[in-house]
Amino acid sequence: MALSAQDKILYVANKLGLSSLNLMQGSTGAVYDVDTDISGQIFTSASRHQNPGTTNITENQFEVNEALLVENIAFYVKNAQGQTLNFQAVYGSEAVIVFDLVIGNKRVMKDTPVFAAGSPYTFANAAQIAVTVGESIGTVFRPRHQVFMEGAGILIPPQVQWYVDYRVFNVVTGATITPTDATAIGCYLFGTRVLLNFNTSI
Amino acid sequence: MSQIGKLGYVDSKLGAPTSGQQTTRILFNTIEAPGTTSSLSFFKNFQGLTNGQTNLTQNKLDSMESMVIKTIWLTQIDSSNVLQSFGGFSQQTLSIIVGNQTVVKNLPIHFNQGINGQAFDRLHENAAVNSDDNVSATDTLQTRMPIEIRLLTDIVIPPQVAFEVRIESNAAAYGTGAVVCALSGYGKIFSAGNTF
Repeated sequence: MALSAQDKILYVANKLGLSSLNLMQGSTGAVYDVDTDISGQIFTSASRHQNPGTTNITENQFEVNEALLVENIAFYVKNAQGQTLNFQAVYGSEAVIVFDLVIGNKRVMKDTPVFAAGSPYTFANAAQIAVTVGESIGTVFRPRHQVFMEGAGILIPPQVQWYVDYRVFNVVTGATITPTDATAIGCYLFGTRVLLNFNTSI
Repeated sequence: MSQIGKLGYVDSKLGAPTSGQQTTRILFNTIEAPGTTSSLSFFKNFQGLTNGQTNLTQNKLDSMESMVIKTIWLTQIDSSNVLQSFGGFSQQTLSIIVGNQTVVKNLPIHFNQGINGQAFDRLHENAAVNSDDNVSATDTLQTRMPIEIRLLTDIVIPPQVAFEVRIESNAAAYGTGAVVCALSGYGKIFSAGNTF
């Protein structure tokens, strides 16, 4: 029988000795941030970013008794005007993001590719169809750039720092593509969330 | 736990009546002419709204009613009745407050906007059709889609507990038309049965 998201959270919490996590508010949540420094890391500089214009966290770790079970990782581009754009639409189909997800001192996802043409985990999901002006049928697909986690996902526990390490390559030539301020790479982590709930303790 | 099981569990914990007509419930609320702002609060103001703009008269359910929120839906329509991207393309977060507790916290909503194809779940295709230069007048199909987010967890609104949906941004443009928020899911409504 498959492990549910809640089961996974409680299993990890038990392993980590987090005895009160099961009393907290279960929710759905996502954290996002943009590598505005072009440093190759996302979430590490979230504390300096505009909220919610660039990120929705104040630091790259959750507070006490808060956690996120990562079930979906996605990448996008944020331009200089603050707009969220499709990775392929900006970088072209030859681009590929290769990323690691690091939680604490541990790399939990390793050298994972997200192809601009549409990442492997999002097959058969035409994201957006754009039409050329005046035409009646869609002529452009905007693919997804996501990794849907197999199994129950990976838990980011309370008070443990996390970040995403990434590089952008040209998959044809193998050359590195350097993002710019106008084409900064953003990332979100989405999944089952645990929110701090004092219940009757205060 | 199913939506039905979760609602029964919470209702029993709170001592709320468990009888009532089981149904699918959709609550909605409209804000007229929101303009450019950093904060929107849905289900807070009902003054002057017609039945076509909200289906509640206060920010709580009746004493015999409760529901589970499974889907959040948001849309923006301009003063010319044209569907727009909610808040433009800017980054926005959503929080749901039930009673004194934040049950959904700073959930980003712009990824499910139907313009960049990065919806949270695989089921939503985000198939908004858009011209390459965003000239809506020349498009032949719907150019924008509402935001729709399916929650992974069941969020319960118990009877007679105030709730609110807050949207935060850095001065997003919501225009001079209206923005609408709908909450959908399994619920119970008052049913007299053979009481009367």
